[in-house]
Amino acid sequence: MRTADLTTALILIAGGALVIWDSLRLGIGWGTDGPQSGFFPFWLAVLLVGACAAIALQARRRASRAPFITRAQARPVLSTLLPSAGFVLLTQFIGLYVAAMLFMGFYMRWFGRYGWIPVALLSVLFPVLTFVVFEKWFLVPMPKGPLEAWLGY
Amino acid sequence: MGWENLLLGFQVALQPFNLGLAVLGITLGTIIGVLPGLGGANGVAILLPLTFSMNPTSAIILLTSLYWGALFGGAITSILFNIPGEPWSVATTFDGYPMARNGQGGEALTAAFTSSFVGALFSVVLITLFAPLLAEIALKFGPPEFFAIQLLTFSSFIGLGGGNPIKSLVAILIGFILASAGLDIVTGQLRLTFGITELMKGFDFIIAVIGLFGIGEILLSVEEGLAFRGVSARINPTVVWQTWKILPRYYRTFIRSAFIGFWMGFKPGGATPASFMSYAFARRFSRNPERFGQGEIEGVVAPETAAHAAGGASLLPMITLGIPGSPTAAVMLGGLIIWGLQPGPMLFR
Repeated sequence: MRTADLTTALILIAGGALVIWDSLRLGIGWGTDGPQSGFFPFWLAVLLVGACAAIALQARRRASRAPFITRAQARPVLSTLLPSAGFVLLTQFIGLYVAAMLFMGFYMRWFGRYGWIPVALLSVLFPVLTFVVFEKWFLVPMPKGPLEAWLGY
Repeated sequence: MGWENLLLGFQVALQPFNLGLAVLGITLGTIIGVLPGLGGANGVAILLPLTFSMNPTSAIILLTSLYWGALFGGAITSILFNIPGEPWSVATTFDGYPMARNGQGGEALTAAFTSSFVGALFSVVLITLFAPLLAEIALKFGPPEFFAIQLLTFSSFIGLGGGNPIKSLVAILIGFILASAGLDIVTGQLRLTFGITELMKGFDFIIAVIGLFGIGEILLSVEEGLAFRGVSARINPTVVWQTWKILPRYYRTFIRSAFIGFWMGFKPGGATPASFMSYAFARRFSRNPERFGQGEIEGVVAPETAAHAAGGASLLPMITLGIPGSPTAAVMLGGLIIWGLQPGPMLFR
């Protein structure tokens, strides 16, 4: 718990510092027509940094030594989180639909240990269905990659 | 005035198309509620884009049905698996799971869905009667009043959040900071965009809900493991009928829990404390409090009625003041805005 609290607090303090830096650029004072653009973000970030410092102090003083997450728990979480992150990254390059196909196929086979037939069926049918729903029916353009370009979309 | 609106509402809701949507929504919602890690808020968030092509009334019917279905799905897992699907079904596990283990699973489920119906209907009637009144008052509100309400809301987030209050404060501040990114509507300056064009519009609310809340919930349920130790239950018309014959005996519990739920439901995060409070009251006023926790049907009736009354009541501040009373109401608020309805007192003009 202690390490987790400290790490989160430090990351958020860094984020708060970034916000403070940008707010200082915009001006944190009172302009002729009211607060300047940086006014609200600046004070929010100051409060955030203060609260995170308090959490870090609390964690140092009296947080339990019990682990935040055990190795057995971390495994399934990471094996869900990492493919999902990969899916978002892949979407930028090969488009949403192909990335969804790869992600579903990989995740169902590797984590869910399904047979090849349901894996192939679902991971092909679901992206095709979403493609029809979004691109044809709702006319909402989604990120597309080389495959869609080759098919003429 | 109020009663006419209520009748008009039922007429619209009972049209075959809308009734079909409601059945679809409840079926989907129950499935979503039974699946661990997917609750009402996630379900509504996932289905929200699919409703954009519908007319707003049908879309609201679909999403609210989904919401109720998810609430009831949470009760099913509480009773049969001792796993609450939603925070407010935790109190249902106290007596629901022991009942299922005693072989009374069917009775517990019947009590749960009957109480849900009573609680929900009660709060719908009250909402219809009270919403125009509250909107009337809200129309007289100026910036100081709205500031006061928002301050109260965020203070109660910290007070009712449970756990470490500083962490609740940090979560609220992160939300505020995310909301301040993008174009400053007062001065027209770009803030916190760091030269990234996509950030000009700021962070979309739905994206924040799905990303921070939805994915977080899914990871949490993956961490807890998806092992089920279920109790099988038989449910047939005879069991339902038998249970319905006993239930009127608990009319006091129904009425008390409905009022507790409605009253608590206004406040953010209201359904969970309402279900616990209602359970505690039912135990307090019961003639045989020692049987609570071992499979007392009243222990299922009380939290379920209160949670559903609160679920309905949480929509009241959303439509009249524009302040959501629960995460699901917050997602629906986003939907209402996208359909072109600006929640708030002007909706009633």
